[in-house]
Amino acid sequence: MRLSSKPLALSIFVILFGGIIFTTWMGWWQTETTREPAKYNEGELAGQYNPADIRGSYTFGDVSSLFEIPISDLQTAFHLPTGSDPAAVALKDLESLYAELPVEIGTASVRMFTAYYKGLPYEPSEETYLFAEAAEILKQQGHLTPEQTEYLENHIAAVAEAQPVLPDPILNTTPLVAQEATPQAVQESTPQATEHSPEERKVAGKTTLQDVLDWGVSKETIETILGNPLPPASTVIKDYCSQKGLTFSDIKTRLQEEVDKAASN
Amino acid sequence: MLQSVKKYFRRKIWIRPLVQGFFLLFIALISVNHGLAEAGKGIPFLSSASLHSLCPFGGVVTIYQYATSGTFVKKIHESAFILMSIGFLLAILFGPVFCGWVCPLGTVQEWFGNLGRKLFKRRYNHFIPEKIDRVLRYARYLVLAWVVYMTAASATLVFAEFDPYFALFNFWSDEVAIGGLIVLGLTLAATLFVERPWCKYACPYGAVLGVSNLFRIFRIRRSTLGCKLDLACNRACPMNIPVSELHIVRDHQCISCLECTTEASCPAAGVVEFVAGGK
Repeated sequence: MRLSSKPLALSIFVILFGGIIFTTWMGWWQTETTREPAKYNEGELAGQYNPADIRGSYTFGDVSSLFEIPISDLQTAFHLPTGSDPAAVALKDLESLYAELPVEIGTASVRMFTAYYKGLPYEPSEETYLFAEAAEILKQQGHLTPEQTEYLENHIAAVAEAQPVLPDPILNTTPLVAQEATPQAVQESTPQATEHSPEERKVAGKTTLQDVLDWGVSKETIETILGNPLPPASTVIKDYCSQKGLTFSDIKTRLQEEVDKAASN
Repeated sequence: MLQSVKKYFRRKIWIRPLVQGFFLLFIALISVNHGLAEAGKGIPFLSSASLHSLCPFGGVVTIYQYATSGTFVKKIHESAFILMSIGFLLAILFGPVFCGWVCPLGTVQEWFGNLGRKLFKRRYNHFIPEKIDRVLRYARYLVLAWVVYMTAASATLVFAEFDPYFALFNFWSDEVAIGGLIVLGLTLAATLFVERPWCKYACPYGAVLGVSNLFRIFRIRRSTLGCKLDLACNRACPMNIPVSELHIVRDHQCISCLECTTEASCPAAGVVEFVAGGK
């Protein structure tokens, strides 16, 4: 059988666009994240969603419906603003909501909360913090192991330390935490940025790219981790991640590894 | 103007540049629309998908993660997996037609190459000594191995940092990596001397599809009966394959452009053809 250029061109169009049309019709064609985490594929949990695969692009509404957690519990646990729809808040916005905290409340916190809430196995891959209200809800659920209880007791982000900075799309309402924070407590929280001092060399909420450069990590390494050319060195890493839609916790972990490496050299 | 149009359609394989131009424009529009949609000004009825989600090679690099954890590498979605499968189907049937007919980076290289051809005439595409060239042709498999390994190890799209295809359609945006722009610039500069240099020496997706030349259903067949051995087929091949020395073209670099066939450059009737079956 002989084929010339015209039927070959036609075949390419038919197969390519036919394939796209067919898979769209079947519901398989997705060009965006489906907001459905991976499932456990073995053991007695097989078929259940794995909280470790929760992404920053999910909203609290997604987490609530996927893991059957009442949105009111999530709202209380993460101090979600009362004047807006808590279900519409994206997890990645937590990092900017609590940008002033010396510890991080972010997607990893939601992963841990969800896992402990449902009694599912979860190993925090980094130092993960929750608010005291979240810990209280988890205790009430009764799925915590003694190790998890101990971990939580040592990883509580104090409410008074939070100074939420709300991203525009979320709302203009003042969140609960800000209302509860005393002037004294707020004042106390600000100087805690001293954790970024060169002596400690810890990548945290207020760390700038200049800090990381000063700690001996090369420009090229930072660019590789950020996946972009180096922005101005004075840029706060957390702000940069928020702007670029990057998950701060992931970037932070990778940068911290490089900082530790540089320190040991 | 009319003369130019008539001249264009007198070309024996006029449809390939037309198909290539269509896909180049199509992908460029989608890429622009992606940026517009993010600013809330997207063009209706046109996809605003990200370029990563429309890249079949994205499907290839995510295979390991999908097999081990059931998830895709960040920025890769089901669409890339589907396009990868369609690319494989096309390759099994016709060889790497994606490279020769669809890939916009290949098209841009061909267009830039026309300038090199005008500058250097017959020397064009023959600057690199054959022995060195033959070895360099396998470099793209090293690139492929590195990209697949690094993506599996890091669970991120490491290739995006150097990808000239992504840079070509995002050079105006802040998403583009400087590495990608440098590789694109070097590639375009090299096209003045070598036809499709990225495809020949570095393209990891071309490396994957190139394997299909060993078993594809439709293949380039040269009949020894009637062949005038005028080497017209060799000269027409953008990938420097010595078609005149072969009976069946199984070279891993063939891109199924059909430029060597009787329909395009071979003056003898029925000598070099794109056929299925037979010997």
